[in-house]
Amino acid sequence: MYGYRLGAIGIVITFFTIIFSTVLMPMVLFQPKPSHHGNDYSTETVGDATRGRRIYIREGCFYCHTQFTRLQDRGYGPLVQAGDYVYETPHQLGTARTGPDLTNEGGRFPSQWQKAHLVQPRAVKPGSIMPSFSYLSDEDMNDLVAYIQSLGNKRIPEHYVEAPAEYTDTTPAGQALLARRHVDTKATASANAGRGIYTQNCAACHGLDGRGNGPNSITLEKKPANFTRPFYKQYSDEMWFYRTSEGVAGTRMPRWNQILTEEQRWYVVAYLKTLQKDAEETVDKLEDVEKVEQIKLPALTHEEYEPHTGGGE
Amino acid sequence: MRGWLKLSNSLVDKFLSNREGSASRNFFLSALWWSLWGMSAGLLAGLEFSMPDLVHNVPQLAMPHLRMFHVNAVAIGWLSMGYVGSMFHMVPTLCKTKLWSERLGNFTMWAWNVMMVGAFCTLLNGNTEGREYAELGALLDVIVMIGLVTVAWNIYMTIVTRRVKKLYVSLWYFLGSLFWFPLVYIIGQRTFVSLPGLNDAIIGWFYGHNILGMWFTTVGVGMMYFLLPRLTGAPLYSHGLSMLGFWGIALFYAPTGTHHILQSPVPEWLKAIAVISSIFLLVPVFTVLTNFFMTMKGKWGMVVTDMPLRFAVTSSMFYLVTCVQGPFQATRWVNWYLHFTQWVVGHAHLALLGTFSFILTSAFYYSMPRLTGRQWHSQGLIRAHYWLKFLGFLLMMTSLTIAGLVQSAGWHHGVPVDQWVIELVPYWFLRSISGIMIVTGQFIFAYNTYKTLYTPIVVVAPAAKPKEVKV
Repeated sequence: MYGYRLGAIGIVITFFTIIFSTVLMPMVLFQPKPSHHGNDYSTETVGDATRGRRIYIREGCFYCHTQFTRLQDRGYGPLVQAGDYVYETPHQLGTARTGPDLTNEGGRFPSQWQKAHLVQPRAVKPGSIMPSFSYLSDEDMNDLVAYIQSLGNKRIPEHYVEAPAEYTDTTPAGQALLARRHVDTKATASANAGRGIYTQNCAACHGLDGRGNGPNSITLEKKPANFTRPFYKQYSDEMWFYRTSEGVAGTRMPRWNQILTEEQRWYVVAYLKTLQKDAEETVDKLEDVEKVEQIKLPALTHEEYEPHTGGGE
Repeated sequence: MRGWLKLSNSLVDKFLSNREGSASRNFFLSALWWSLWGMSAGLLAGLEFSMPDLVHNVPQLAMPHLRMFHVNAVAIGWLSMGYVGSMFHMVPTLCKTKLWSERLGNFTMWAWNVMMVGAFCTLLNGNTEGREYAELGALLDVIVMIGLVTVAWNIYMTIVTRRVKKLYVSLWYFLGSLFWFPLVYIIGQRTFVSLPGLNDAIIGWFYGHNILGMWFTTVGVGMMYFLLPRLTGAPLYSHGLSMLGFWGIALFYAPTGTHHILQSPVPEWLKAIAVISSIFLLVPVFTVLTNFFMTMKGKWGMVVTDMPLRFAVTSSMFYLVTCVQGPFQATRWVNWYLHFTQWVVGHAHLALLGTFSFILTSAFYYSMPRLTGRQWHSQGLIRAHYWLKFLGFLLMMTSLTIAGLVQSAGWHHGVPVDQWVIELVPYWFLRSISGIMIVTGQFIFAYNTYKTLYTPIVVVAPAAKPKEVKV
């Protein structure tokens, strides 16, 4: 044994040093204060959200759904802070995102929708691979929905998704782009010019009124965006321009920078900015979905149609 | 009175046998048994990715419950029990002595099996602690601890009573693992404590990564050090290198856990420790593999005929891939892109299925004839097992890795989940096929083992030569 005493002492000391530095030290040095933006489980009326959390754990939701937003996650709502998790144990940060992130899921869908989604996910989300949880009792399901609805209920969005850096004035490419631009996106004339281009190129899918119900939308698996959503009010010009230019991956939205000139795209942006309403106009009746919009061209003067070819002062 | 005593003695002898090698053999067979359940659960869970409505209204067969059971059955059941079986065979062999107590070994085996039955009954019903890799309930945790402590005691006492002065490097690894892992397990369970969320996560990943680092890797590498020289008949290339590899793992593996939550709001210094030690892990990995490959020099051709060696060499190749992939994806910017995707699932299977399951299979095929004195029923079935598992695993790895890249591209471009999920359908389908191949291979393995151990040995008289037959 004697020859190995030093080795044994070495192993023990090494391992306890590691435990000290990576287990004990974080416990002592890392004690985040509650941030008051953590989830509040007491306000839900659908069911008992605290009990719902236990069902979330029991059904193993955290194997596919994460509960932390990262810097690089676009459109997942406000970023989390260390203080948000003080009362969360066992932690539900999650391990893989086979399904969407649920950090700020609360309030995104009505409770009835959530329940229907739990019973048969594919009825409300075609193509989803989430298992059906129809075996949950009514009470379990209400509590689970209450928990889901309370996720992120204290986090208020302050910053929204923004265009990539090459479209903003933080990079030389973006500065050059903005310097080339001469279209005033707030002007009615620009919006009218954009309307013409929109009618020719976009209306087939997005609909004449921008409600996402153009004739093509019937055949599309991924429905086109509904521009009447108040959400789009916070879109910057650069964000609109980026979306229009590069399209949306995974959908039929094309990269319009292959088809339209830069000037034309800025006119479209000017028009898109006029479409938002205070409340979303949704096509929620089956008859409306199947009804193809009548094509009606806007009544405009010749100048209004083509202001960019001269004619206007 | 005497009759009762006799009966109880015979029962003790039957269930807590004192026969040499019985504890090792029983551990191997239990491991095989739980692997069938664990891998089948994984297969069914995989099928439910391709066909989400395959099983309806049966909570025990819902994907998350199957996943919990799959992970615990293959990690705590198949791999850990098999590891204990291997150590119970290899340690006495290396010490040129007997296992300190076969009875204690068999007792541990029963305790472990009872724990696995408990895991089967609780996890499939969702009775979980809600912590990944630490799902087992408090009572089952206690039984695991009893099992680990008795195994450690048994092995330590065997080594104390050894007849060889010098400790071979495998014994270093086994002794280290049996010191590290019980501590890691106790720290990682968090059964009786309730920590704030992120501290819970830090300790959770300390445990989640070290169940791999201080148990599966260290015991598995020790087994490779034992098997490669034994199977090839070549001496180990360098004892000095093997010591360097051992100390490298001892120093750099344990602090890496936080690289699982690199983008969460945990302290930066902890992330820095995790990333740096993850990269440093390349040092022990390359030393260990240099040692293996130099030992194999001139002997590579033996993998054609020697099936246990082929499993062991495949395992060391996968070890190379795993351990290059690991530090690569633990760096911040790669992790930024790949985290949370199926790529990681592929990586986990590369380590546990590709590397450590293969080395355990090699040990199983090597040890079982030596423990029972029976030759394998069929070499052809071993080959079938190898090819099904090998090709099945390659298919699984490829499909999961591509699926992971599709997912991360989806997030990177801000595409909503319900849009890219449709793109993954073919990869789920390929993964299901790979699962069917792997599970079939494992059932062939089990059938071969059954035929080997439970067919009476028929002594066939040598056939008479035609000339001698008088007509």
